[in-house]
Amino acid sequence: MARPRRSPEVQGIRTRKYNPRESLAGYLFISPWIAGLLIFTVISMGWSLVLSFQHFDLSTNIGTPAGFDNYRQIFADPKVGTSLRNTFFYALLAVPLDITVALLLALLLRGVRWGSGLFRTIYYLPKMSPSVATAAVFLLLLNGNEGAINKALGLLHIPGPQWLVDPAWVKPAIVLMSLWGVGGSMVILLAALQGVPPELYEAAAVDGAGRRAQFFRITLPLISPTLFFLVIVNTIGALQVFDQAFLLFYRDGNSNAPDAALFYGVYLYQQAFQQFNFGEAAAMAWVLFVIIMIITVIQITIGNKLVFYEGSSR
Amino acid sequence: MVRNIKAGLALVAVSCAVALSACNPAANTQSGPATNGGTGGGGGFSKTLSGTLKTSGFNPSDEVGKARGDYATKQVAPVTVSMDTTNFDPQKFAAQAASGNVPDLIQVDRSTVDTLADKGLIIPLDQCFSTWGVSPSEYYYPAAIKDVTYNGHVYGVPQFFQASIIIGNKSVMGPAGVTMADLDTSKPDQLIQVAKKMTKQSGGKPTQLGFSPDLPGSSALWLAVFGGKPNDSNGKPTLDDPKNVEALTWMKSIMDAQGGYAKVKSFMDTFDTFGDKNEYVQNQAGAMTWAQWYINVLSSTKDNVKLQATTIKDTSGSVIGFAGGTAFAIPKASKNPSAACAWAVKVTSLDAWMAAGSARAATVAQKHSIMTGLFTGSPVADKAIRDKFVKPSGNADFDQLIATSYDALQHTVSFGGSPVGQQISDALTNAVTVTLTGEKTPQEALKEAQDTAMRAYSQSNLGKNG
Repeated sequence: MARPRRSPEVQGIRTRKYNPRESLAGYLFISPWIAGLLIFTVISMGWSLVLSFQHFDLSTNIGTPAGFDNYRQIFADPKVGTSLRNTFFYALLAVPLDITVALLLALLLRGVRWGSGLFRTIYYLPKMSPSVATAAVFLLLLNGNEGAINKALGLLHIPGPQWLVDPAWVKPAIVLMSLWGVGGSMVILLAALQGVPPELYEAAAVDGAGRRAQFFRITLPLISPTLFFLVIVNTIGALQVFDQAFLLFYRDGNSNAPDAALFYGVYLYQQAFQQFNFGEAAAMAWVLFVIIMIITVIQITIGNKLVFYEGSSR
Repeated sequence: MVRNIKAGLALVAVSCAVALSACNPAANTQSGPATNGGTGGGGGFSKTLSGTLKTSGFNPSDEVGKARGDYATKQVAPVTVSMDTTNFDPQKFAAQAASGNVPDLIQVDRSTVDTLADKGLIIPLDQCFSTWGVSPSEYYYPAAIKDVTYNGHVYGVPQFFQASIIIGNKSVMGPAGVTMADLDTSKPDQLIQVAKKMTKQSGGKPTQLGFSPDLPGSSALWLAVFGGKPNDSNGKPTLDDPKNVEALTWMKSIMDAQGGYAKVKSFMDTFDTFGDKNEYVQNQAGAMTWAQWYINVLSSTKDNVKLQATTIKDTSGSVIGFAGGTAFAIPKASKNPSAACAWAVKVTSLDAWMAAGSARAATVAQKHSIMTGLFTGSPVADKAIRDKFVKPSGNADFDQLIATSYDALQHTVSFGGSPVGQQISDALTNAVTVTLTGEKTPQEALKEAQDTAMRAYSQSNLGKNG
């Protein structure tokens, strides 16, 4: 049996010759980005790794070999453990909440026929507001005695907690502030929801599937790659949390915050720029790098078993 | 498709992790050329001045700062002075130090001076003072000089010494049956009862605070009240000293007596501290611990408040004039140490402070306010300003407040500097906070704080050399 002929387009692609001038133009176009990556990321990372094995003297700009001293120091420091526990707790709380709220908002917005652009803008606006301004607002909102959140809870006869002082409520307070920027995840999920073919819902409705069944059997599987992407990206972001905690609790450069507010990124900053222990700070950064890598690999391994990719055999 | 997604996710993970390390502040630290100390070296100071002077941290935002700054700048002519008026930022300074492009003169908190000295980032100023004929131990408060002395050398030019006092609100104290004599810090247990007496609550939340010891901000002051100290005379941390434990136990008790730290702090966060409806006008507080500068703030509401002040005493009954403050220091890589030295000495000189006093007196006259004095870091300047500018105001309450502030200056105390002064201060503040929030007991908190401070101390040059 004769093999089918390839289409002219496919033939064209396969037979197209390598053009060095075109390649050169391409490389030239991306060269600013490559230069930036090399200078500000790759070389900086290299220096950081070297620094993590040195005792660095800022007055002379000279580092002396330290072996694993910096790593030993951070593993012996109980505050590193405290800050890591706080960071994990925050990530476990913040990531699912962010994605859930974003999904709920995206589902609501998908159903909006009139003024959807306006609502999308409104929900995305908080993401655009500077962290400092957001923190200033949340300091007022979260005041345990006079804050608007507790006043609202009071209307429901719920005694509001001391969000910014009670160690048990400090991390939930930071999560609340993080949810202010949920618009970022929402926009991504909205795009994913709009990519789900409507005929699938029509077919399901004809087969008698209700809204609940449609959501769990059609919507969730088809947006699962996007959810998976958000889980990974948001986890990485949550493990690097810095600005929310710093602005709510350490903005004056002092330490009058409960231990519950000490996050890994904040402690790393304190080591580097309040105590000038650059070697230890670099070691802390690399430890976090390894932790993030391990968590990401685990997430990818598990995620690939759960995520539905259109066109795949699963 | 799966492979592409996998690769994409892996790329995202790697990119984010790479970005993390790229953002790692330490990563950029070595990118600049080695400075090797610049021209500052050991401090070859001269009276012959030229070139430019870059200062950092000094902000002539009010008439006092402007008058002093203008005076000093005139004195160092023909030097051109340019100012970075933002507060000292260790991150910025670290980046500047790494690139060898530091300001010539920095204004920092006095607790930071010994840390910078220990790291070799600033130079001793003994020769600077002698060049200009200034005897630091005579011209400045000995306590302020002690704060900036490292290994026997003075590394900072102190400015401001605003001792803490207790400012009572007679409108609250009277109805509660509390007198100024009751606010006696030499009897800490009595103070708890007095605080309780003046506290009012509604729905479990304070609506009137009895007594604020200013925690955790003034923690070190309360250690001194109980005879404790955060570090010894060599700068070695002593945070787990039993007297400190006693002090912290008291801090927890006085907060608990008024509803607990969390509720008190949330209540205090609602105070209009600098406004016309401040906590004294609103009768939201019975008595509070304040540095002298707050009298100046209160003077703008002088007709709406009834005040009385008292000094702070230790448990043996001795008055404690305890204050923080800032100092000028010259970075090792300063390109113009002579001009930096001259400007720092001139801006804290008697003439500069008298110019500032004159400017403040003019402002006060214009606003029909009260001249509450300037508390300069120098007993010589303080006396001269008081003699010339501080007159009876016609408001007996404020005159008493001002007199109390000057009384405190007769009894200045200092724990002395430490190469890990900032770390000790941070560790103490953290210990007080975690105790007040109930996360740890005073013993646990101070033990952990001591371990943290000792870890830093053992890494300092002074600590390494015993």
